[in-house]
Amino acid sequence: MLRKKGWLGLLMTAVLLLGACSQGGGAATTGTNGSDSSSTDASGNEASGELAPAKLKIVLYGDESNRMKELAKTEFYDRIKQEINAEVEFQFLPWTEYAGGKTDLMLSTGEDFATYTDANYMVKSVAKGLYADLTPYAEATADLSQTVDEASFKAFQLGGKQYAIPVGNKPNSAEFYSVLIRQDLLEEVGMSEVTSLAQLEEYYDKVHAAHPELIGYAGVDARRMLLYDYTDRNLYWQNDFVALDEAAQDDQIINWFESEDFKNYAKLMRGWYEKGIIPKYAATNVPQLQSDWNSGKAMFWAGTAARPFEGAATISQAVPDAKLVNYFLGEGRPKISRGTYSTAFFVSSAAKDPERYVMFFNLLQKDQELYDLFAYGIQGTDYTLDENDRITRLTTDSLIPDWLLMNKNFMRFDNSVPDDFIADYKAWDDDAIISKGAGFNFDNTPVKNEETKLNGVLTEYLAPIGSGFVDYETGYPKALDRLKAAGIDKYIAEYQKQFSAWYAEQHQ
Amino acid sequence: MPKAENKGLLIFFYLCIAVFSVICFAPFVLAVSGSLSTESRIAAEGYSFWPRGFSLETYQFLFGSKMEQIVRAYAVSLTVTVLGTVSAVLVTTAYAYVVSVKSFRFRNVFAFFAYFTMLFSGGTLPWYLLSTKYYHLDDKLIGLIAPYLLSVFLMFLMTNYFRSIPHEIVESAQIDGAGHFRIFVRIMLPLGRVGVVTISLFYALQYWNDFYLPLMLVTDERLYTIQYLMYTMMANIQFLASGNAAQVGGAIIAPPLETAKMAMTCLTVLPIAILYPFLQGFFVKGIVVGSVKG
Amino acid sequence: MVQQAATRETNKRLGKRQAVKSGRLRTSIRKDAPLYVLALPGVAVLILFAYLPMSGLILVFKNYNFNDGIFGSPWAGFANFEFFFSSMEDAIRATRNTVMLNVLYMLTGTLFSVAIAIVLNEMRSKWFVKITQSVMFFPYFISWIIIGAILFSLLDYDKGILNQSLAALGLEQVDWYSSPWLFVVILVLANIWKSAGYGAIIYYAVLQGIDTSYYEAARIDGASRWQIIMRITLPMLVPSIILMSLLGIGGMLKGDLSMIMGVTFLNPLLLPTTDIIDVYVYRTAIRSGEFGFASAITLYQSVFGFILVLVANKMAGWYDKDSKLF
Repeated sequence: MLRKKGWLGLLMTAVLLLGACSQGGGAATTGTNGSDSSSTDASGNEASGELAPAKLKIVLYGDESNRMKELAKTEFYDRIKQEINAEVEFQFLPWTEYAGGKTDLMLSTGEDFATYTDANYMVKSVAKGLYADLTPYAEATADLSQTVDEASFKAFQLGGKQYAIPVGNKPNSAEFYSVLIRQDLLEEVGMSEVTSLAQLEEYYDKVHAAHPELIGYAGVDARRMLLYDYTDRNLYWQNDFVALDEAAQDDQIINWFESEDFKNYAKLMRGWYEKGIIPKYAATNVPQLQSDWNSGKAMFWAGTAARPFEGAATISQAVPDAKLVNYFLGEGRPKISRGTYSTAFFVSSAAKDPERYVMFFNLLQKDQELYDLFAYGIQGTDYTLDENDRITRLTTDSLIPDWLLMNKNFMRFDNSVPDDFIADYKAWDDDAIISKGAGFNFDNTPVKNEETKLNGVLTEYLAPIGSGFVDYETGYPKALDRLKAAGIDKYIAEYQKQFSAWYAEQHQ
Repeated sequence: MPKAENKGLLIFFYLCIAVFSVICFAPFVLAVSGSLSTESRIAAEGYSFWPRGFSLETYQFLFGSKMEQIVRAYAVSLTVTVLGTVSAVLVTTAYAYVVSVKSFRFRNVFAFFAYFTMLFSGGTLPWYLLSTKYYHLDDKLIGLIAPYLLSVFLMFLMTNYFRSIPHEIVESAQIDGAGHFRIFVRIMLPLGRVGVVTISLFYALQYWNDFYLPLMLVTDERLYTIQYLMYTMMANIQFLASGNAAQVGGAIIAPPLETAKMAMTCLTVLPIAILYPFLQGFFVKGIVVGSVKG
Repeated sequence: MVQQAATRETNKRLGKRQAVKSGRLRTSIRKDAPLYVLALPGVAVLILFAYLPMSGLILVFKNYNFNDGIFGSPWAGFANFEFFFSSMEDAIRATRNTVMLNVLYMLTGTLFSVAIAIVLNEMRSKWFVKITQSVMFFPYFISWIIIGAILFSLLDYDKGILNQSLAALGLEQVDWYSSPWLFVVILVLANIWKSAGYGAIIYYAVLQGIDTSYYEAARIDGASRWQIIMRITLPMLVPSIILMSLLGIGGMLKGDLSMIMGVTFLNPLLLPTTDIIDVYVYRTAIRSGEFGFASAITLYQSVFGFILVLVANKMAGWYDKDSKLF
């Protein structure tokens, strides 16, 4: 009997041992956190007036750099505490958890936190009651709403309620509507500019003759850059299936895959694929396209306002004298913008103090000083400014990601960006119009099944036709069958119904 | 005795195994050589068995300022693997023994009870809710261990090894008046040693390779494991490369992508590659002891 | 002679077992008590991490929203299954592909694992066994993303090593990535490569436990190496093979999304054979953010697997009562 107890004891000890270890770990954690907060409490309390202390958890996606870690415990912590009397904890999650994964679990189990989102995820989450309604706290965004466009706020409203607070303000009209050309290659083959499809193909032919190892287009989707060559309309896509004609002042939506435009576009792309402008491997290995572009092995890419200098920095590692310029393949159609925001922050519906979160978002875009602190760190330690206010960063560590904060009122450029690039960049949105669909958020609840099935048809049948991997004539009849079977008509009808209702409301 | 036939067959065996081993080893060489190449050459020319433009750039990028974190992550991984494997093997062998006792009336009930969980699961949401809100496993070392204490697959494997132990030995012990505890510890565990070592190996791999539990349950970076660190780095590098996070104001680091994948493979496989022969030594010793007793 | 020895052994064993059984019945309950104690930690783990979370299965039939919680949310009936079963053509193809690939994986995987284990068992050079066994285990650690990248450099139409070799030999180049049926072969080979070493360890361990006297007896009888393998080694592995197959059959409808994603890059031209259930759910439900749909299909995979296992388990019982899982 004694023996038996002995063995039982062994098992118990093993289990207890595990318990003890875990307790130790837990205790250590709280211990250090505690001491951090007590050391800074004193300085925080004097400045913040009548606000009760609060604890906020901000989830960010990506790698947490060492410098971010330090600042989160020191300057960021102190400064936020001083401004809004809140202790902010930053938690970093890998990008795979964005708009799903652990973020979804944390929301669904009622954790108290805030992070950023896009309109799609917002619509789904609000339907499940996962986001807090931030409408009552509009006053807390007083400073932010001075520096962020009003249209950006509208993009994150549902049924008149504000569910997320937009952050960022940057020129981003006509995303992917331009062709980003390797100007160095263009000049090498004796050309100076590309203003039409014919010139673009000439550029390809000439460079291909000189450098057969280069691929043409480092992408599989050119419906925006080729717009002038297959339609007279000024198309803007709401999602994969639905487009709007921004030139028409009406509430008609366009069923993209059943339109004549799609047919013409698919034929253009088939030509590109057969000609080799799009490499054969693109049907399989899409990431390889990106990597070829980055290593200077592609002739052109889809352009955005910022890509000429963002992209140059990457390519210059492989091709030091690479130069990138945006061209449009036609003219006369206004650039379309979805709004100038970078992203938007929401608050979980279980949050105890949503207002304080909104006050924190406000700080992110409040003024130059706070922007510099959150995006670049401490002057002298993390960056220096020269007489032209050009920035030189002393650390490669990223803090609160600056693509997220990026606001034309505050952002700084480094010395490597030429003045004319900055001028172009700042003027990019000057002749742009806001899409007539901006601020419309489709509620997919009535057509969830159809939408899900349509996604299956899209990935298997329509995407390959749209990229030219499959010939339109041979592939389309079957694709159309599947599209109909999946319920495209019901989906489009529902979309049209909701859009018309919303459109009428906007134009009363 | 047809000796020639024996020899021929044996040579054929050696040849097959050698060829298959080479095929298995090749990608590992590609990975090591890839991790020591420069990104641009890899992107331009593809993988090779010899580094293209030898450079330690990728490792510098990976370790960079994170040396301390990586060392700590290795330590956490090692702790989790050792503690996890020992506890899991105890839990598993005990359960497997129960299922393997032929005279036990409810052994099938226990077997079914375990097997059912292999097929049906309630999904991550309730699991996450229970683990964090009720068991409070978040940010604790035990959270990285407890959920994997009983792998049903390995439990059945262990049952299989137990069953192959000659029954006479158990019977003679029973006749001598030995109870189940005694039989389990004194007979089954030593005689089933090959099996125990095998499932230990698999448990060790499971704990070592896991990034899911840290992803779900850990926010305190002091409990990050090496696999989780690699997983996050990979996920984020892919994001950086996708161009979304391109930066305007500051220095842009173009992350090495292909080479980084290779380097991470090396960093996670290497410890195993080093440890494996030792584990195998243990393996072989277990076999020798086992066969002497058998 | 060998078989005779084996039969004698079994007869002896059976006789003894009978005797012990009758003598023990009286004290069975007292004797069994320790078994419950031994099973307790395992039972606890299963309850905590598998059975309690299983209550979440109810979510599959619900329209989950945060305010009402898991149990309060309104019922949805079978609505979450609709997207899958209302496009019967896709559902059948996905199910067929999954079963086809899994059957191929199981057959070839078992064949190779068993063969490797037997061959290793024949070898007397310890260092050779040690090294090759480690090396064959390596692929298990290499993620599918990397395997996919390596395969791509072999199979790419223009620059792939395979096509360049074909061209050098004056043969026609093959467009691997648009040949769905060729890709089945590639997937099967990739699976063997990745998991055969792992599986071999399991069988090799069983062989190491075999009483060496059987072999000695056979060798004295002058049996050839081949005869020994076929008459002693292989039969010894049969219970393990049955066990592994039974364990595998339950997962017959579950597929490895990361494998297909890594190796085929979800190339649409390959979907006719590579669109397994997990891939289909990924590119429809998960892509649309409908996670409720995704878990509904997981339940379909489980129920289907469960039925298969019940049948297979029964059949294993006909062969040998001890081979049954439960």
